[in-house]
Amino acid sequence: MPKLRDLQAGFAEVVLAGRFDALAPYLPADAIPPEDRLAIYRNTARAVMTEALRLTFPAVERLVGRDFFAMAAARFVRQAPPDTADLAEYGVALPDFLAHLPEAAPIPYLADVARFEWALHQAATAEDAPSLDADALGAVAAEDQPMITFIPHPSVRLLELATPADAVADAVLAGDDRAMAAIDLAAGPRRLVLHRGATGVCAEQCDADAFAFARALFAGATLAGLVDAAPAAAGTLLAGHLASGRIAGYALQTQTGEP
Amino acid sequence: MRQETSRAQAPIPAVAGIGLRFPHHRAVREDRPAIGWLEVHPENYLGGGAAIACLEAVRRDYPVSLHGVGLSLGSVDGLDPRHLDRLAALVSRIEPGLVSEHVSFSTAGGTYLADLLPLPMTEEALETVCRNVEVMQTRLRRQVLVENPSSYVRYVASTIPEWEFMAAVATRTGCGILCDVNNICVSAANHGFDAYHYLAALPAAAVGELHVAGHALRELGGGRQIRIDDHGSAVSAEVWALLAAAVARFGRRPTLVEWDNAIPALDVLLAEAAQADTILSRERDHAQAA
Repeated sequence: MPKLRDLQAGFAEVVLAGRFDALAPYLPADAIPPEDRLAIYRNTARAVMTEALRLTFPAVERLVGRDFFAMAAARFVRQAPPDTADLAEYGVALPDFLAHLPEAAPIPYLADVARFEWALHQAATAEDAPSLDADALGAVAAEDQPMITFIPHPSVRLLELATPADAVADAVLAGDDRAMAAIDLAAGPRRLVLHRGATGVCAEQCDADAFAFARALFAGATLAGLVDAAPAAAGTLLAGHLASGRIAGYALQTQTGEP
Repeated sequence: MRQETSRAQAPIPAVAGIGLRFPHHRAVREDRPAIGWLEVHPENYLGGGAAIACLEAVRRDYPVSLHGVGLSLGSVDGLDPRHLDRLAALVSRIEPGLVSEHVSFSTAGGTYLADLLPLPMTEEALETVCRNVEVMQTRLRRQVLVENPSSYVRYVASTIPEWEFMAAVATRTGCGILCDVNNICVSAANHGFDAYHYLAALPAAAVGELHVAGHALRELGGGRQIRIDDHGSAVSAEVWALLAAAVARFGRRPTLVEWDNAIPALDVLLAEAAQADTILSRERDHAQAA
């Protein structure tokens, strides 16, 4: 009698690799061949995983077409199957997979579109948290204020792309050929700050300085450090992040190691 | 001071409910159709954002049942502790009337295989399921229901009839049974057993919920057929008849209409639920007459 562990490993071979022979010896012979029975499971699992990717990467699918997407998804599923039953978490590796997929080479911005859609998806499904009311900072004693650090809202994502993939995604999902034609693919890097606000996910484009500020802010830089790095702009930039709801809380950095 | 709750009462009434799926979120939230209760897959609500916000909104008006599809109660590797923790957090947040899972496995070696895969009906599998059900019930601090599977394969190694396997899980762990009559119909046709015998063999007191759904008939050539549990069509006359037999055997139970593929307009789903309610009412009339 096969051990349950062996049988379950065999089913993984059936589902992921279509290796029906991994399980066929465990099934009785009858009028319907084991391959026909096992194919039902393989096809269902593949359809569920592909649909999960399709829901997260709709612009990628629109760019390559349904059949190409299904082909790429089948290969991706075999290479990087999900490790959790929460399929909303499945797909983090798809952008890099697409970047190395030979058949996708004619669309050099495809992986960036996938990176943008993954960030959008993460922002949309991140844990809920209240945003910090800026007035709460007034409770911090003046001498402690330089040591304030800010806790990002769980939905905040920073994204730097080599191509204007966000514009491509917007245009292709809107079916707007004129907007698509107007995109300058050589326009240089795009720097985006994404978060989920009251009305949904927002992706705000910013310049190099504002992006560097956001990076430092959400990496836990102190208020003093932020002001030192951008003396003229720090107040405005910080106020913008607070007003947008991108900050969930604050903490005071302890001066450990000092007398 | 006692905190007033603005939620519908938690217990799931012994009437028809529907599976709430994304295409109907807005309609259910805004129109509040007359339906006894709603059931959702917790795997669709483990994160934050719009989905859980909708579930919390409808929870104010309806009792809700959480019907898991990803915990993999039959997995020899045990339960994924992170998944179980996230499920526990959702249970705390939603306060569902029922929590259920499937007698099947869906993970192997840390990989999620995205389907409810059939277990061999062996003592090893029975011990595995019972061990995992106990872990689930301990973590959630409540009784759960486990659903009988539909399947397309049997194993040479199987030694226990499925109905005995289900009854044993309930007896050994104290869990309840979610009796999916569509699954019984599908598996009975695929494997050649008597669906009514299956119903007769289940312990009535353990059955806490019933499911109905549509299934497909696939022709394989040469006169061979297999039934596919695709939840993609209306409930068949055969399954309605089996539901009537289940209600006669177990009494009135919360009864869910599931429809997961080619999801129709909400009105179509509500009409199916009304059909289930008619069958449940007939049993009430019988009981009163007796």
